[in-house]
Amino acid sequence: MSFDAELDAKGLNCPLPILRAKKAIGALTSGQVLKIVATDPGSVKDFEAFCKQTGNELLSSAEAGGAFEFMIKKS
Amino acid sequence: MAKRLSAEERRASIITVAKRLFARTGFHGVSIDDIVSEVGVSPAILYRHFESKEELYQAVLQEFSATRESYIEAVVADDIGFEQVLRGMTTVFVSSITNHPDMLKMEMHSQLDSSASQDFFLNRWKSFTDYIEFSLNELQALGKIKPINAQAAALMYQGIIREVLLLKCMQHSDRLKDIPTALLVDEIITLFMKIVEPTR
Repeated sequence: MSFDAELDAKGLNCPLPILRAKKAIGALTSGQVLKIVATDPGSVKDFEAFCKQTGNELLSSAEAGGAFEFMIKKS
Repeated sequence: MAKRLSAEERRASIITVAKRLFARTGFHGVSIDDIVSEVGVSPAILYRHFESKEELYQAVLQEFSATRESYIEAVVADDIGFEQVLRGMTTVFVSSITNHPDMLKMEMHSQLDSSASQDFFLNRWKSFTDYIEFSLNELQALGKIKPINAQAAALMYQGIIREVLLLKCMQHSDRLKDIPTALLVDEIITLFMKIVEPTR
């Protein structure tokens, strides 16, 4: 899947990945996609809740090698 | 004879009792026999649900994580600054402990037990230390605040909040009985913010 910006949030605990993502999405234009990589297991639920609250679309959420990858499309 | 419960209800009742006992005397202070006699079942029934005491302890921690505090609402509001996020996160965290004081008791025991569960509890505090360290370093880099040792500030914050929780949730200190926890925490954040000086 292609993306327009990438955010490395590895090693960070909630709420930092969310705050960084919020900032990164702010710099995108509508329809662009942000890829986020995080290691906090809580980030799975957090990004679901984040997208629900902000109206951005969670395109995918996957685990690979102890890290979690999210693709979020700016609304 | 104990009432017949479904497997799920039985499992939940074992966790509830185990939580109370682990909070009282710590992981090493509780035996499987203590737990089964309190639940009113045979050890065989307990082992049907949990292979070992370790597994049962993990299940108790798991239950706490299921009610894991979500900071989302506290942080997604527009144009929210360091102080507001810190206040929001702290409110969520403090109420999660005042609602589940057994969690704090288990944390205190785990400090002495040197068990793997220490990581579980450390990780909960890491949300604060991470947030404070990163934000203060970022604000300094942007020249918005005067130089400050962000790591020391984060540790200081964690220490104060932990002490408030210990006094209010475990020792029920007389000295602080007239001030509600939320108000006390509010005042402490106000004091903490005074050490974070903006540049003029």
